[in-house]
Amino acid sequence: MKFRKLAGGAVAIVVIVAVAFVAYRLLKPEGPEPTPPIAGAAQDLPDDMSRGEYLTKAADCAACHTEKGGTPFAGGRPFQLPFGTIYATNLTPDEETGIGKWSDEAFVAAVREGVGSEGHLYPAMPYTSYTGMSRDDILAIKAYLESLPPVNQPTPENSLSFPFNQRWGMAFWNLAFFDETRFTPDSDQSDAWNRGAYLAGPLGHCGECHTPRNIGFAMQSHDYLAGTEVQGWKAYNTTSDSLYGIGSWSDDQLRGYLSRGHAPGRSSASGPMAEVVEYSLQHLTDGDIDALIAYLRSVEPEQGDRNVTVNVTPAAVEASNAVLPGDDAPVEDPHGRRLFEGDCAGCHQWNGIGRQTEYASLGGSSSVNDPTGTALIQVLLRGTSIEIDGVTQRMPGFGGVYSDTDIAAVANYVLAHFGDKEGTVTADEVAERRAGPAH
Amino acid sequence: MITFTVNGSSHAFDGDPNMPLLWYLRDEADLTGTKFGCGIAMCGACTVHIDGRPVRSCLTPVASVDGRSVETIETAENHPIGKLVQQAWVEGQVPQCGYCQSGQIMSAVALLKTKPSPTDDDIDAAMSGNICRCATYPRIRAAIHSAAEKLAYEA
Repeated sequence: MKFRKLAGGAVAIVVIVAVAFVAYRLLKPEGPEPTPPIAGAAQDLPDDMSRGEYLTKAADCAACHTEKGGTPFAGGRPFQLPFGTIYATNLTPDEETGIGKWSDEAFVAAVREGVGSEGHLYPAMPYTSYTGMSRDDILAIKAYLESLPPVNQPTPENSLSFPFNQRWGMAFWNLAFFDETRFTPDSDQSDAWNRGAYLAGPLGHCGECHTPRNIGFAMQSHDYLAGTEVQGWKAYNTTSDSLYGIGSWSDDQLRGYLSRGHAPGRSSASGPMAEVVEYSLQHLTDGDIDALIAYLRSVEPEQGDRNVTVNVTPAAVEASNAVLPGDDAPVEDPHGRRLFEGDCAGCHQWNGIGRQTEYASLGGSSSVNDPTGTALIQVLLRGTSIEIDGVTQRMPGFGGVYSDTDIAAVANYVLAHFGDKEGTVTADEVAERRAGPAH
Repeated sequence: MITFTVNGSSHAFDGDPNMPLLWYLRDEADLTGTKFGCGIAMCGACTVHIDGRPVRSCLTPVASVDGRSVETIETAENHPIGKLVQQAWVEGQVPQCGYCQSGQIMSAVALLKTKPSPTDDDIDAAMSGNICRCATYPRIRAAIHSAAEKLAYEA
């Protein structure tokens, strides 16, 4: 009898807590619509670009909603998740397969609330970030998308396993993890800072890749921008931490990286980040890039997990010149160095400053300082390319001609020579990456 | 307008700034000694010097040589080291088909300018990016050593 009473009490408490939690989430204010100059397009918007096009680029819709080699915004790009594959939808104004028949309300709900025509969206669509956007901005994006030629291209069916194929289940996920709040400017900060916060959060959704996720696949807010692994690549720590983040990068380095994908003396954007710069960031105005920098500088420093410290002046690089390497520490297996001298030095050079293009410089790059070689393996296997101002910079992939042992050897050599790090790349790991998603 | 010097004489170009330097050298300046090989900086056949540094001209945008000095195989013999290298190449009968050789010589000259008496390891490090389909590598190595010896003797 006593036990039943106790159990009943416990159930009652759980129910009360659950009801209170639900009520709290449902009644929580969404905040006012963000207003200019924070929301909306840049104040220095170029004449030849509409507000909607600019915002579409700033929100980087094209990167996901375009299949490799496909028509921009026509969807179909697959996203491989641990529980199946989902496909980005067609955003062209086609009435049958695109957004041609969508009302303003429906479009705003999809972008800000994650509720689409078939029910709840999966948070691969970053509505968790877009929710901060103003209604005006979303409708400007819709107007731009509607100005594009309609493309009749059905989106492939998602192939998710049970229970993840039950869209209604996302309602519970939203309840637990989705904070539907509009962006609110911080009046203690400058307009530029607020603009940067709006660009990095609601529009650019940097955190969706650069913030580690918790067990429920939601962004861990206390680790905002602290860096993690995404689709087999590294999204590095971009907090203001001076050792692990971008705290010791100069404004010029940040500006170069964000606006053209190369930070002199630091990294070049590759893989998924190269796409972000190509589709989105290179189109931002100078004022907006500076706003982003002002905001990033203020992001709480976090060390993150398994992060990379960058040695910008490794001894082996300092001792090398363009033609010849300095004395490397003797290695047991010269295989990696042999591969580098034959296939890599022609562009990267022994002192890593890049021969034909600055994009080939390796000194100070995060990927050659990460002992796990996560991004390095991907670049070696698949290559990377970035198109800036109509000019393509390309590193060819060596996956077709190099064995797993070759890739591991050259990766560990590069980590030792250019990062002064003891690389831990193994052939088995390369084999795993080879079979994994491209990105 | 992009202005630069090629083998000591002034040049100006106002076409597409992203055109590869190799296109300019071969098609505009009529300096066809520099060859097109792979087009992705992997074979070394198009090697020229920019401000004395060896560079693959097939991937170098012509805009990037603005205000700089370009030297090609055509002027190699006008420099003491280049002259010695070419003599060593002739004496050793290095080329077979010859297609890669202007690139090989430009890389060898850059190596000897950087290190007048290179070891076999140095030759590997500096020359491995220059591929020879006829596999004349042993003769290339011998010729570089021979030029280095003459260089030491003359010095």
